[in-house]
Amino acid sequence: MKNKIKVYRAMHDMTQEALAQQIGVTRQTILAIEKGKYDPSLELAFKIATFFGVTIEEIFVYDEMKSP
Amino acid sequence: MKQNTFYLLLGLIGLLEVGLFGISVLLKNPLIITAGFIMGIGLLYIARMTITDLKEDERSTMITQKAGFRTLEVFWVLFFAVSLGSAVIGFSTPLGLPHPKNMPPDFPRDEPHLGYFGIIQMILLCCIAFLYIGFRVYYARKYGEWDSDEE
Repeated sequence: MKNKIKVYRAMHDMTQEALAQQIGVTRQTILAIEKGKYDPSLELAFKIATFFGVTIEEIFVYDEMKSP
Repeated sequence: MKQNTFYLLLGLIGLLEVGLFGISVLLKNPLIITAGFIMGIGLLYIARMTITDLKEDERSTMITQKAGFRTLEVFWVLFFAVSLGSAVIGFSTPLGLPHPKNMPPDFPRDEPHLGYFGIIQMILLCCIAFLYIGFRVYYARKYGEWDSDEE
C-alpha cells in the first residue's frame, strides 16, 4: 500500500516523532508505514487521516502489485 | 513501575528460582521449585501490567504475535517428537513389573527416564528461547524496527 504521509507531514511541518505522539504510536511505526514496510490497521489509518483532516483514500492508495 | 525496575525484578526472581531449584534438589522435593516457579511467573505477569513507560503499539504487538506463532509452529513439532521418543522408551520398559530374568544388555532401563526427560525439556525450552529471539529479530527487521530516516 502506497501512502502520502510524508507529504502531509511536510505540509503540516511535523516530524515523525510529533505525528507518532499525536496518534499514539512509536516513531518507528510511522517510519515503517512511510517506507511501505508496514500496512497500518484500519483504525490507525483512520486516525492518521482524521489527524490531517482528509479521507483515508487521500493518504493511502491500494497498490495491487504489492499486496500479499 | 518503570521498565528498568521490572528488569531488575526479573533478575531477582531468576536468582530466587535458581536458589529454590537448589533447595528442591537438596530436600528431594520437586513441589518447592514447581510451586515457586509458578508463583514467580505469576508475580512477573502482575508486575508487567504495572509498567508505565512501556512503548508498545500495533506494529510491535504484531511483531511479538508473529514471532510467537512461528516459534510455536516449530516448538510443537520438536516437543512432540521428543515426547514420542520418550513414550516409546517408557512403553518399552516393564512398567513397574519385576525385572524379567536374563534381559538383553541393551534393554532400556526404567528408573531415571522421567528426570532425563525433564532435562531434555529444559534444553528444548532454552533452544526455543533462542528461536523466539531469532524470529523476533527477523520480523523486527521486516517491519522496519531498525530503519533510519533522513530526519
